[in-house]
Amino acid sequence: MKTNAPEQKRPESASEIESSAASWAAKADRGDLSFDEQAALEKWLGADTRRLGAYARALAVNAHFDRAAALGPGFSPDDFEEARPSPPPALKRRHFLFAGGAALAASIAAAVGFGALSAGTAVVTAKGDTRRIALAEGSAITLNTDSRIEPRFEERLRQVDLVKGEALFDVSRDRDRPFVVHAGDVRIRVLGTSFSVRRFDDGAVEVAVLEGHVEVGAAGELHPHSLRRGQRVRVSPRGDFRIERVSHAALERSVGWRRGIIDLQGMTLAQAAAEYARYSDRRIIIADPAVGAMKVTGVYSTSDPLGFARAAALSLGIQAIPTADGVRLDRR
Amino acid sequence: MPSHDRTQWLARRILPHEGELRTWLSRRPLVGLDIDDVIQESYAILAGLGCVGHIRNPRTYLFEVAKSVVLMALRRSQVVSFSALTDMESLEVPCDAPGPDAIAAGRQELERIATFIATLPPKCREVFTLRKVHELSQREVAHRMGISESTVEKHMGKALRLLANAITYGGNSPIPASKACEDERARTETSGIRLRN
Repeated sequence: MKTNAPEQKRPESASEIESSAASWAAKADRGDLSFDEQAALEKWLGADTRRLGAYARALAVNAHFDRAAALGPGFSPDDFEEARPSPPPALKRRHFLFAGGAALAASIAAAVGFGALSAGTAVVTAKGDTRRIALAEGSAITLNTDSRIEPRFEERLRQVDLVKGEALFDVSRDRDRPFVVHAGDVRIRVLGTSFSVRRFDDGAVEVAVLEGHVEVGAAGELHPHSLRRGQRVRVSPRGDFRIERVSHAALERSVGWRRGIIDLQGMTLAQAAAEYARYSDRRIIIADPAVGAMKVTGVYSTSDPLGFARAAALSLGIQAIPTADGVRLDRR
Repeated sequence: MPSHDRTQWLARRILPHEGELRTWLSRRPLVGLDIDDVIQESYAILAGLGCVGHIRNPRTYLFEVAKSVVLMALRRSQVVSFSALTDMESLEVPCDAPGPDAIAAGRQELERIATFIATLPPKCREVFTLRKVHELSQREVAHRMGISESTVEKHMGKALRLLANAITYGGNSPIPASKACEDERARTETSGIRLRN
């Protein structure tokens, strides 16, 4: 994994910590930790106060369920199934089977609409541009800045390669003609939904589901992860999957680029500068790490990095100095 | 590292109020602050306290701790307007509602626990049921199911993660905090809190 990608500098998210903490609590649940494990745990805990909190919380969750013993050996979880908060209608294998017969005519009709895209043409956006491509069968693909897709539409399968960058897919439902997005080694397979896919420079891929559900897996994987509306998965360059829940508002914000806006809520100045570098060649330079660590908030235009830098400088009490190709933020 | 007793205290006295705390925090103008971060910092403080015997009202205490975490973060962030800070500082923690504590030992709570277990994915659920309902050790669960111990451990980790979310986000929605109240005892209890930076 490269270490120079901007997102690597982002502090570990609460969700990531929570996941590791649960693993540690499960290890502790086995019995006494070995000497080495104990040392490793202490080292892990020591790096961030939130880790101790997450670990204590995970232990507490485990202890909370001690009273489950009172349910007795006759307990069968199935009796409580109906109380489940409607499990996701998992994509069934058969949906992946190609349809024959009557559905074929419809597929052929739709295929005509893809004529312009089926010849293996690529669609690209320059830095700072977004582009929406409406497809005849009702789907649409919106490309974010500096991105490239290569659609490969076939009679019974709609395939798109996300070669670079980020795109939002609004896929019309067609159970006989699955829609598959390839992002490097990651494969996303859907029926009808709205979701975004972003490839990071370090090889990571992020998929966020705004509507419906999708399946995400490594190319050729037999058991992909099922992702519902409001969930986001990040696939690390090594192929680790990390699924987290995201509020609808946050998801909407994350695709604000569709309307030319960028939400910097909770980012540091350094992260905001890296984000702007995706959209523009006008650079925001921050030499001082203390300045880079300052938090910013608010919604800005993706096309105006200098305006953002000036606004940030004003609110943070620092100065924005124009340079040949952008702006430098520094202390007064 | 939290002791056994502290873990039990967190499980019985704090965890049941976390959902309500999240709701309360989500209504605050926590610009750029992640509620999950606040929750983790709060647990870290509670886990690190020298003793908890003097805490008569854990729920109020939890809210005060979370509030102090938020204030500290707001002061550090440098972006937040002065009014956001004063808003938060003057904020009263909500009154005691007939909260989860009252029903914690009851049949209702046991049913909730059963329901939560039922929501786990099948393998995970089987592991967790054998471990917590049948009280087998992880090793015994591995033997019983014919899977490796490390697989059992992974399922346990996943179960704990999912259950933590189920308890504190979903399921029974927490009782909304409608009116603020004074609680001098909680105030003096929390006056000694210092955050590590």
